Amino acid sequence: MTNFVLLDPKEHANLRVITEHSADYGDNVKFAMTFPFEFRNIQSCYPIFFQKDPGSGKFYPVALFGFENDENLFLSDAGWDAPYIPVMIKRQPFLIGFQDDQDKPGEKKAVVSIDIDNPRVSESAGEVLFPEQGGTSEFLQKATGNLELIHQANAHSEKFVNALIEHDLLESFTLDIQLNDGSANQLLGFYTINEDSVRELSGEVLGQLNEQGFLLPMFMVLASHSNVRDLIALKNAKI
Amino acid sequence: MLRPVKKIIIVGGGTAGWLTAGVLASRYNTEAEAGLEVTLVESPDVATIGVGEGTWPSMRTTLQQMGVSETEFMRECEVSLKQGSRFENWVTGVNDYYYHPFSLPQAFGEFNLVPQWQKVRDKISFADAVCQQSQICDRGLAPKSITTPEYAFNVNYGYHLNAGKFADFLQRHCTEKLGVKHVLDHVTEVNSRPDGDIDSLNTKESGVLAGDLFVDCTGFAAVLIGEHYQVPFHSVRDVLFNDSALAVQVPYRNSDDPIASHTLGTAQSAGWIWNIGLPTRRGVGHVYSSAYNSDEQAERELRNYLEPIVGRRESEQLELRKINFNPGYRGEFWHRNCVAVGLSAGFVEPLEASALVMVEFSASTIAEQLPADRSMMKIAAQRFNHKFTRHWQQIIDFLKLHYVLSRRADSEYWVDHRHKKSVPESLQESVTMWQQQAPWLHDAPRFDELFSSASFQFVLCGMGFLSRDSAPPLRADDANLALANKLFNDNAKKTAQLLNVLPANRELIDKVMEFGFQKI
Repeated sequence: MTNFVLLDPKEHANLRVITEHSADYGDNVKFAMTFPFEFRNIQSCYPIFFQKDPGSGKFYPVALFGFENDENLFLSDAGWDAPYIPVMIKRQPFLIGFQDDQDKPGEKKAVVSIDIDNPRVSESAGEVLFPEQGGTSEFLQKATGNLELIHQANAHSEKFVNALIEHDLLESFTLDIQLNDGSANQLLGFYTINEDSVRELSGEVLGQLNEQGFLLPMFMVLASHSNVRDLIALKNAKI
Repeated sequence: MLRPVKKIIIVGGGTAGWLTAGVLASRYNTEAEAGLEVTLVESPDVATIGVGEGTWPSMRTTLQQMGVSETEFMRECEVSLKQGSRFENWVTGVNDYYYHPFSLPQAFGEFNLVPQWQKVRDKISFADAVCQQSQICDRGLAPKSITTPEYAFNVNYGYHLNAGKFADFLQRHCTEKLGVKHVLDHVTEVNSRPDGDIDSLNTKESGVLAGDLFVDCTGFAAVLIGEHYQVPFHSVRDVLFNDSALAVQVPYRNSDDPIASHTLGTAQSAGWIWNIGLPTRRGVGHVYSSAYNSDEQAERELRNYLEPIVGRRESEQLELRKINFNPGYRGEFWHRNCVAVGLSAGFVEPLEASALVMVEFSASTIAEQLPADRSMMKIAAQRFNHKFTRHWQQIIDFLKLHYVLSRRADSEYWVDHRHKKSVPESLQESVTMWQQQAPWLHDAPRFDELFSSASFQFVLCGMGFLSRDSAPPLRADDANLALANKLFNDNAKKTAQLLNVLPANRELIDKVMEFGFQKI
């Protein structure tokens, strides 16, 4: 379970954050949320699909790491074996939150929270958050920067998804995977962009999507599909 | 001389009128050069009666085919999701209940579970044994979750809705998206052709409306089919005694009170009370027979019913609205170039919420069999009349079944309902058959039957009717028992899974308000 509290320099002066990747630190996840701004990096490593938020039914893009629950095929004893790690993984154990700004009534200001029950949080190992000499560490500054990026990317991502829905480009799919040992696996509950529907888009709509900055990410999603083959190879290598 | 059917004039703007307009205008191209012209004329100050706040699952298809977004519909028409009906006190009058859910029994169509269930009937109700919906309703859960696409489901559902808002919503959809012309005016006169067809309608301010086919959606007034054509009305008060209703809007005590996902029908001394949960209020009403109950006594029973729901003070103060109706239907629904849809065609008590589904069926039949020219209209009319006479007779038989199976003897009303002279012969025959054979597909032999034999099963088994199977033993007896046990077990597993994942009905409705359903 998570236990987010407001990050406080006094209270959390001794806290450190472990940055290695392993199942022990909760990295054994099948997928993570991703954002169009990082699709270029994501599509060089992972398939990008879409998933529905169970609380709202809203679609959001995800990078896929495995075929079964708790399966991350990029994870080994040596850590996370991929050139790029999604920002939603890197942000752990921090979260951006908002609270009423006391200086500007009626407005909200962004605040950083930390999940103090997260196994990455330690007092003995990992990156220091608040150096003894005062201020915040470079690590924490970078983490805070990532959170701001996620916050902005979230709004943009929602518009991107809405555009895909508006033009009926999303479809659900089932992926049947036959492994080398003969076992059959099925990937269910994900959605993707229908290539045929994209091909049928008019020049006018394509122009609009381009102006809105949605065209490139669309094609990156399509290009990322070829990573499914690599993911299956990783799975085969582990059986 | 071929007169093409190009101009449809719908008279009356309640749910019947707008549903018919929407069904026609979404099937046919109204914008094309030679396209169908659909005009709806309604009087600006005639109040619509707003019957039936409950629909069948068919409404999902109807709305989807009209191109309606389920999210918009739910947001604008005070919609909650309905999974069937729960009947209380119909059997003995003392704390008995059963469900008639929208889901079909497991393996329905391939395997009849009734004979097998009868062997375990002391342990589990029929609905609980053969489908998941009764237990889902018992716990106030929704038939789907927010991640389920619009119109799709985990278990089948229809709607509870605010009929007034629904008519307004359909009006906007029809006029803005489907090219239906809307004339807000009084019809003052019906002009006939020499052959007796309706030629046109005079209006007070909008001139003459000429048409090829006229749809009478004028409610009980039946301006065209009744007033103008004098098509006789076939009353069924001798079969279904109820002819009066007292309706009331009942507020929730707290804004987060649970919303029942089924219609509640509670039997009274000479009638029954409906209770329909909308997101904002409950619609409650007492439908009764004026021959067996006085308005005062009916009001007393209704207020007594309300007391535990809203408290004594409020239950005495809530304002009631009286509705009188003559249960029955027209001798003909389609006469010459005029067809009646909705209350003008007929009305019986809302025991199985059959009013709106009959409107949908009528509208889709007109749309599908719309004659291209006048020469074909006589055949289309004959077929329509034959089909809908059959539907009315089936509805009447099915509603009457609820009374025939009752064992209540606390008033003349219940006793008289079981008198042979009040039971249609067709129903008497069915009941005689069911005494020896569990209801099955032969009981609803047509492909377009309104009630499937599953509905007969739920009511018969729910009310404790027993089919005494006296046929010789079957070679497949053992195999049937094994299959039944497997189906019962499967159903128990599915039920447990769904009870685990489905949200409360109100929780889902709140989420639809906030997020909406996805299209896929």
